[in-house]
Amino acid sequence: MLPRIVLASAVAVVVLSSAPLAAQPSAERAAPRTAAGKPDMSGIWVATGAIMLFEGEEAFAAARAADAAAGRPPGNSNEAPPYKPEAEAQRQYFLSRRGIDDPMAQCLLTGIPRINFRPLPFEIVQLPDRVIMLYEIHHAFRIIPTDGRGPPEDAEPSYLGESVAHWDGDTLVVDVTSFNTQTWLSGVGTIHTEDLKVTERYTRDSFDTIRYEATMEDPAVLTRPWTIRETFRLRPNERIREYECIESNEDLVRFQQLLEEGATEKTP
Amino acid sequence: MRTLAILLLLGGLCLARLAAAHHSFAAVFDGEKAVKVTGEIVSVEWTNPHFHFSVDVKDSAGAVQRWRFEGYPPNMLVRQGWKRDETLMAGATVTVEGWAARDDSKLGAVRWVTFTDGRKLAGGPPAGTGGR
Repeated sequence: MLPRIVLASAVAVVVLSSAPLAAQPSAERAAPRTAAGKPDMSGIWVATGAIMLFEGEEAFAAARAADAAAGRPPGNSNEAPPYKPEAEAQRQYFLSRRGIDDPMAQCLLTGIPRINFRPLPFEIVQLPDRVIMLYEIHHAFRIIPTDGRGPPEDAEPSYLGESVAHWDGDTLVVDVTSFNTQTWLSGVGTIHTEDLKVTERYTRDSFDTIRYEATMEDPAVLTRPWTIRETFRLRPNERIREYECIESNEDLVRFQQLLEEGATEKTP
Repeated sequence: MRTLAILLLLGGLCLARLAAAHHSFAAVFDGEKAVKVTGEIVSVEWTNPHFHFSVDVKDSAGAVQRWRFEGYPPNMLVRQGWKRDETLMAGATVTVEGWAARDDSKLGAVRWVTFTDGRKLAGGPPAGTGGR
């Protein structure tokens, strides 16, 4: 087993180190491909919504304009989730409390797809038989088999669920199931049940971009599948750093005070 | 010039939907209560998930108010050009722009810090609503 791991790691290093690392604002360079001919998603990425924090508002606007010019759908839609009335009422309740109930505020693992939109980068390492995602936030990781196997039979509900992937042409399709109910989908109060199924589609449509699409299915709370989209942008000069959320999280105390004072009952 | 300069700008603020790395901005801070103060740094806590610093701000009568600001975690500060042992030290005079807490305590969310040499660094994200 060890030689296989070493070989796989060596392949990854060669693939990674052979990619030109200079920042290229143009999105028109072709996506790199693996020896097997598949698009190589490897690299450090960040959601376009976070470009404002990394490079400022002008760069953010330029990125969105580049997406529009390339025909990529606009990301971070303000569209409300297609909830059934009872679920929507719960979402409104959480909104009225201004997000004080956000599991992320307690430094709990952020689920899928929300973790992909956090304003911190993540690294994709694509190996021949699996894709590894390393998130700066929460030190989270996903190991996603691409060798044809199905989800594990002994899966327990979890924050990030269980992911397995296959290729649909040049698109990596990741099926995620076995979620717990301690995460929000995308935005304050976006609840779900353990029956949630998320289908993610990753398409590296240029050297610098991945088109991302996540479709959430959860018939108990959603009237129809809910799809959201974003463009991930390559960060060639970035590295994944440490982010230890719980170290000095004063929100835990503040939120308890707010709850005791009833301050969260005001409308936003 | 260390006179108290607090500007409450009501309206006209562009509220980005980006939240800070881990929490809901709107639970504690008010994106419509912009604050801008100039004063002397008392202490700096270089911690996760936010760094904090305290700054003493004098009003025109000489009375001191101590503000405490929270901003980016260290991983993001470094990306904005901050260095822990150089950029912001006790005794420095800075101008801080951000938003005040809803409860009118002297707690703020920092967006920008301007130094006496004219440098201006992002200390925290735009005001968010807990967004996505």
